[in-house]
Amino acid sequence: MKKNKNIKMILLFLVPVAFLYISFFIYPLAFVLGTSLTEWNGISAMKFIGLGNYKKLLTDGTFLLSIKNNIIWALSGGFIQIPLATMVALILARKPRGWKTLRTIYFLPNIISAVAIAMMWKAIYNPMYGFLNAFLNLFGIEGHNWLGETATALPAVIAQTVLYIGYFMVIIFAATTTIPKSFYEAAEIDGCTTLQQEWYITLPMIRGILVTTITLAMAYGMRHFEATFLMTSGGPAHSTSVMGLVLYNKMDAFRLGEANATGTILILLGTVVIVLIRKLLSRGDAGSDSVQ
Amino acid sequence: MKALLNTLKWIILIFFLFVALYPLIWLLLASFKTNNLELQQNPFGFPEKWMFVNYYTAIVKAKLPALFIHSIIVAFSAVFVNLLVASMTSFVISREEFKGKNVLLTVLAAGILLPIISFMVPYFTIIQKMRLYDSLLALILVYSAINIPISVFLLTSFMDSIPRELEEAATIDGASFVQRFTKIIVPLSQTGLATAGTFCFIYSWNEFIMALLLTSSESSRTLQLGIRFFTSQFVTNYTAMYAAIVITIVPSIIVYFIFHNKIISGLTAGAVKG
Amino acid sequence: MRKITFLVLSLTLLAAGTLFANGQQDKEKEIVLKWPSIWVGEDSKAGAVAELVDQFNADNAGKIRVEVEAQPDYDGYEQKIRTSIAAGIVPDIFTMKLNPTTKAYYESPLLMDFSKELNGGWGKDFNAGTVAQATVDGMVKSLPYEVAITPVWYNMDLFKKAGVSKYPQTYAEFLDAAAKLKAAGFIPTSQMTGGSNAWTSMLWYSHFLASFGGPDVYANPFGTDAYVKAAEVLLAMYSDGNTSIDAIGGDAGVSGGHYLAGESAMFINGPWYIGRVKSEAPAVYSATEVGPAPAAGNNKGAMVGFLQTNFAAAANADDPEKAAAAVKFIKWMTKSENVAKISAASGAMFAVKYDSSSITDELMGKFINASNDASFTIPHLEGVVTSDVITEFGQALGKMALGEATPEEFVEMLKKVQDQ
Repeated sequence: MKKNKNIKMILLFLVPVAFLYISFFIYPLAFVLGTSLTEWNGISAMKFIGLGNYKKLLTDGTFLLSIKNNIIWALSGGFIQIPLATMVALILARKPRGWKTLRTIYFLPNIISAVAIAMMWKAIYNPMYGFLNAFLNLFGIEGHNWLGETATALPAVIAQTVLYIGYFMVIIFAATTTIPKSFYEAAEIDGCTTLQQEWYITLPMIRGILVTTITLAMAYGMRHFEATFLMTSGGPAHSTSVMGLVLYNKMDAFRLGEANATGTILILLGTVVIVLIRKLLSRGDAGSDSVQ
Repeated sequence: MKALLNTLKWIILIFFLFVALYPLIWLLLASFKTNNLELQQNPFGFPEKWMFVNYYTAIVKAKLPALFIHSIIVAFSAVFVNLLVASMTSFVISREEFKGKNVLLTVLAAGILLPIISFMVPYFTIIQKMRLYDSLLALILVYSAINIPISVFLLTSFMDSIPRELEEAATIDGASFVQRFTKIIVPLSQTGLATAGTFCFIYSWNEFIMALLLTSSESSRTLQLGIRFFTSQFVTNYTAMYAAIVITIVPSIIVYFIFHNKIISGLTAGAVKG
Repeated sequence: MRKITFLVLSLTLLAAGTLFANGQQDKEKEIVLKWPSIWVGEDSKAGAVAELVDQFNADNAGKIRVEVEAQPDYDGYEQKIRTSIAAGIVPDIFTMKLNPTTKAYYESPLLMDFSKELNGGWGKDFNAGTVAQATVDGMVKSLPYEVAITPVWYNMDLFKKAGVSKYPQTYAEFLDAAAKLKAAGFIPTSQMTGGSNAWTSMLWYSHFLASFGGPDVYANPFGTDAYVKAAEVLLAMYSDGNTSIDAIGGDAGVSGGHYLAGESAMFINGPWYIGRVKSEAPAVYSATEVGPAPAAGNNKGAMVGFLQTNFAAAANADDPEKAAAAVKFIKWMTKSENVAKISAASGAMFAVKYDSSSITDELMGKFINASNDASFTIPHLEGVVTSDVITEFGQALGKMALGEATPEEFVEMLKKVQDQ
């Protein structure tokens, strides 16, 4: 590569970001990685124990369950939330009445306090006064203690998050606007139905953004914490526990070494899942090129 | 078949409209209820009595007006610092060629993955060392830094979509490096800046744990801490807290409605790149 | 856009102005003590504590000033204290819950050791045994202050409506009363497995531990007989409709809510809940009596009580004047007439000897009687185990209540976490 004559200016422009990024990402990350190799309660001196914390975590049933739950979260984000968001985006892309208003409103939950939303969903799931059981009873379906049964608790918390599709819907919607109209006109003449058009034209054309949104949704799934913390604290019987919650509880118990080992595993697994998913999804690229 | 699809389409749209709007409506109704007991027994209906006094309590007892000003200062300054730093970075990454720029972009964007919650002790130490503990400036720095990965990610893809011809013409006319940034790229990136800025604003406005950790006195307290005024060790006054939450989300909604067209087209620009 | 830029710029300037203005104060020689306090906002002690601080500041004007930094969110407050001690900073004055986890604070040289001050006569102001409870390795780095007892609250109205004339004293009587209550459409007990510590149910468990294991139950290791037997009784509370169907996964709002609504007949909580019952459910308030849990084991009339909040302060080894000022303030707060004032205003109970006759609240009076009538008192389980065990309790309880673990396995789960 030829040496850029602006190199001094470039470096100058990178000084502020270097300052902030090193102070608030690199240094803390090094701190987390370093202390993950120690036994440390945050107050007395650190004691180096090598991979002891990792060994302990990887033989702890609750932690392994949390990893499994995080993977379920990630998959639900990538393969339930994104398809739902895509479905709504494709409907809106056909500009039905009021599409602009709908698009704006779908995004709204992203700006409301998580505490309020969690409280509302707890009320919805409550087996005695809850909306969900009352609704199901109308159809003669028996209700559940949604957040209190090991079988239903995890799906219930995930549903609460996965249904908020606004953020990804807006991104996917935006991608559809780049597809030339002429493609659809030609398909129309060939007698393709709307569904066929979406399947054979739209989806292949927005493949790139679908991979990006799936990756993002899975990344959020891997580091998920808040809704679980607010709604179930990981219960009942650890059935909804996730890595972020384990990290939080370890900090709460003054086990900072273990907490940071948890954080490190979280970062590592998150990276692995994301790299894998991108590899997997982009493998078919040659095929989609031939469609174009 | 077509009629069926049409019906299905509207069922889907209305279902998600309901999902998106209902939390707001619920929160608003909840904020007028008498007490926690009513909230539990009548979680979805209208309040038995409309308790406007909850709003009075929220504003006066929790001293929300003063905290409001702090939050505005913090959120706007964090957005300003974040956009300044992120746009300079993105400009260099998007418009210049230099060794290691892809690595730089990857490293910066990877920050999106990090669990910020495990950074509490290092953040506290750093802010102490900078002698910024208990100041609004501490929050401004932390919030603008935390949002750098997402802002750089959005802004680089946005700037990549700006045609190069304009800059080339300007360079021939004698525009300097800095002028290309201030006179051409920044004005043309308004949409991208609005998007990144909105994400940063929403984050800074809603952030709680770092605000709690890094400030202590009332002179540097933000709204999110004020909302917690109604929780105590054993009992939480949810109705007053919800009134406070309603008050605090109004600015977010206003900012969102002012900028939503820009945000959405900003996301579009990002989407084109994929 | 230009308008917005202007707005942002002017706000930034304003921000800079405020920041620098803050740095300009505190020029006087006065010693300023910062106290991040949890007794603010909705806390029942907030008003009385604020008055005492104001009075202290007025008495010491020009010399010492205590600045209260309101910290209403308790979980966040604990996190903040922990993080700041980890980073080597201790607030001038603060309060903490002393338990096996927070005992780690005693390792920090940054905390003041009060033992010398206490030996100089101050120690006599405290109730017998409380200072001993706060002593670790001969150090007293947290001074016992607020204490609490947590009796069973029972709604006499519901008992009467169900045809039960007397509060059950034994387990057999309890089962009989529960059957009648259920027949009348009431929930016998409020329980919860949720929240961060399954609060209400853990209190029930502590009561049963006292009943089976006696005053020294905690001296026995986890897994001994009393723990299993108490777990069996706790499981019975979750079976056969003895609690509400939302108890598994329910939080404090759920368990307290059923009692406030007059749906459940028995519930456990501390005196801080009195204000809420009085304001939200006056009928339940006047029907409420308190007492020990039905004796499931051999020990009758036991009570669960514990050190609730302790005072702590920064050592300030390099600034003896500041250290002396902190001691002076804490002495002021533990003065018997001042404690009496807070107690009278809030109903809270204290580890300091004081005259409680000025307490006028009827239910509070019942609390004090229950405390005096107790055959013996043991601490809450939460106060004698580490945070890991506290977190695990709710999870293990959920498992047992769902029929996925036996009482033995429940205790085994807790033991496993404690042995880590």
